[in-house]
Amino acid sequence: MTEAVDANKKFQKELNSGTAALVLLSILDVAGKPMYGYQIAKLIEAKRPDLPMMKQGAFYPVLRSLETGGLLESYVKPSVAGPPRRYYRITHEGREALAKWVEIWDLTKVFVDDFLKG
Amino acid sequence: MILDIRTYLEELKVELKGMDVALVQDALSDAEEFLTTAVQDALESQPGSAEAGVLGGIIDRYGAPSEVAAAYKETESRFPRLPLSSRPSKSKKGLSGYFGVISDLKAWGAFLYMVLSLLTGSIYFGWALMGGSISAMSLILIIGIPITSLFLLSIRGIALLEGGLVEALLGTRMPRKPLFVTPNLGWIDKIKALLAESVTWKSLLYMIVQLPLGYIYFFVSAGLLLFSLSFISAPVLELVIHKPLEIWRGDAFTPVWLLPVVSAAGFFLLALTLHLAKWVGKVQGRWAKYMLVRK
Repeated sequence: MTEAVDANKKFQKELNSGTAALVLLSILDVAGKPMYGYQIAKLIEAKRPDLPMMKQGAFYPVLRSLETGGLLESYVKPSVAGPPRRYYRITHEGREALAKWVEIWDLTKVFVDDFLKG
Repeated sequence: MILDIRTYLEELKVELKGMDVALVQDALSDAEEFLTTAVQDALESQPGSAEAGVLGGIIDRYGAPSEVAAAYKETESRFPRLPLSSRPSKSKKGLSGYFGVISDLKAWGAFLYMVLSLLTGSIYFGWALMGGSISAMSLILIIGIPITSLFLLSIRGIALLEGGLVEALLGTRMPRKPLFVTPNLGWIDKIKALLAESVTWKSLLYMIVQLPLGYIYFFVSAGLLLFSLSFISAPVLELVIHKPLEIWRGDAFTPVWLLPVVSAAGFFLLALTLHLAKWVGKVQGRWAKYMLVRK
């Protein structure tokens, strides 16, 4: 039983590793304004509360790696109540990558569905 | 059961033990940003509840320290940080390896850092000296305490900016934002923490030392570049513009047969300059990390 749960978790994690970057890029592209981690997590939660695909804490390292790759840029803004917040926005390279990734995603969906439908 | 944000951060720190110090700092500040905002939100929507009461649900969604640490470790291993200047250069041996440095972005990044450090070093030193003296003079009055605290806080801010410069140009991983003192502390405790942290004083010392270093870096790098470029362009200078190179005595022109040798020596010196810049960049990166990053 535990082994099956572990295998499911592992499968979910492997899927998330690619899709999280795609989802985050897409959110920041659609938003059209800089957003900070908590805002993004809340937006995802509000949109699909029934599908907690991954822990919200796991979005942050992905945001950071997208920034390292030049697909996002960020700046820190002080907040009145708590610690300063890091706002992320999509870059030109990020938009180009997103367009390509969406194509790849569409192809992947078709490919996988073809097999699942038998 | 974790009842406050501080405990969560401590547990996360333990989980990240052994990882790059800058990565640990990033993970801690990300968690602090999220949990603080989430707790504030929850307390606003459920008046009368306490932090301990709402934190459990928030951590459940954010991830336990072990889960979050695993996410950082995994992302770091899949997408290692490779800023423009730290992309690995193909290692070649022999002459092409020696001259290959001319097309190495990392070497040029380090060179740019050396040139810029005259400006940044002067600004840091000026700020440290001015702020330091004003703080010292005002300390005899009660207003001295807030002035000194603001000055020390500004030093931490400048340390962060310098960290950004070091990461972008030298490729040394530095934290993106500082780990702020626990938000629940009062102002007096925040000031105490600022004074007690060795990184505050190390950053101040770093800023002072950057002035002499900046002068050395600038004059060595700019001087070597100037020599290299004038040697490289010697044939054009002497044969086309008719301007002697002035490396020989008087206004003598270089013998024509020697011009290609001088030009080649220029390329050799340029590559040497960039090798030196790369080495300085590496040492400076380590020094900056030691002095500016909170352990």
